[in-house]
Amino acid sequence: MGMTEERLQRVRLFEFLTDEERSEFMQDAEPAVFEAGTEIISESTEPSSIFVLTSGRVEIHKKIPGGRDRLLAEIDADRDATVVGERGLLGRNKASATVRAAGRVEAILIPRETFWRMISDGRPAAFKLSYRIARTLAQRLTRLDEEVVEAIRDLERRGETDLEAFRDRLIVEWIS
Amino acid sequence: MPSTPSLDGIPLFERLSPDERDELAELMEPARFGPGTFIYEEGGPEETLYVLTSGAVEVHKQVLPGRLHRLATMEAPTVIGEMGLLTEPRAAASVTAKTPVEAHGILRDQLLEMLDEDSLAACKLVHEIGRTLAERMARTDESVASLIGQLERRNARGDYDPDVFGDRLLSEWGF
Repeated sequence: MGMTEERLQRVRLFEFLTDEERSEFMQDAEPAVFEAGTEIISESTEPSSIFVLTSGRVEIHKKIPGGRDRLLAEIDADRDATVVGERGLLGRNKASATVRAAGRVEAILIPRETFWRMISDGRPAAFKLSYRIARTLAQRLTRLDEEVVEAIRDLERRGETDLEAFRDRLIVEWIS
Repeated sequence: MPSTPSLDGIPLFERLSPDERDELAELMEPARFGPGTFIYEEGGPEETLYVLTSGAVEVHKQVLPGRLHRLATMEAPTVIGEMGLLTEPRAAASVTAKTPVEAHGILRDQLLEMLDEDSLAACKLVHEIGRTLAERMARTDESVASLIGQLERRNARGDYDPDVFGDRLLSEWGF
């Protein structure tokens, strides 16, 4: 097993795959380094790859109506290797936020085309990955729905709710 | 004994080979619901995934006490109960038949068992469900961004009417 594949093994989204299945994803994968300030994913564009962040820190930014840029979260890949852009595997959606390197970031790029080709070829590894992504999406949607329902009920009950807290919870649930 | 349902022509199953379709179809039970019948009741179990082959259903949720809010109308061919499959088997909203509905039901536990065993047929079905969830998530992104924008503007202007905001939230949120 190569060093890159070894790093992939540590990522939760890929840990359920066999070594052979992980190798399939690595066929066209490339290691990459992003220096501080570089946009790894740019909001409103369609990323061509998913990014497995194996070291360094990134910031998630979102443009808020009115033109302001808001820092939504920070991800520390040194603590826990993670994946960004995976939702784009299930649909040709534009990125909902910008992912920017907050320092030197090491990553593995897996082209979306690799995944889609594996889907077309009926490769089990790609469908197994889909299942995990779908489950994450469903959980995220459920939490957001619950958050909004709770806010509506609060508004009705008291005519007032702590909207600052609501906004912050919404942001956390959205990107988690 | 009911015959095995045909999944041919249902978009969700297009990517499956005939053998994979058969594998799922063998586990499915045909189901019919008359207009007005509850398929899921909010807060109740959601332990069966239904593939609707004809008819239409309505989705309602009691967001506020005593007021039932209609969230959506869905027409066959479609699938319902997918959130119960991928999260908790508890209905977040009620689903009732709007017209006579014909469907095939598959138990959540059976499907999860297949997924745990890496059944390609089950994974392919969930892949298609995931694609619809990704579309929904994209719409939700817009709703969240718009909501956050409204809240930010409210902070800037200080003109906030909780009733108006609550109504807007209720009508604009995608669920």
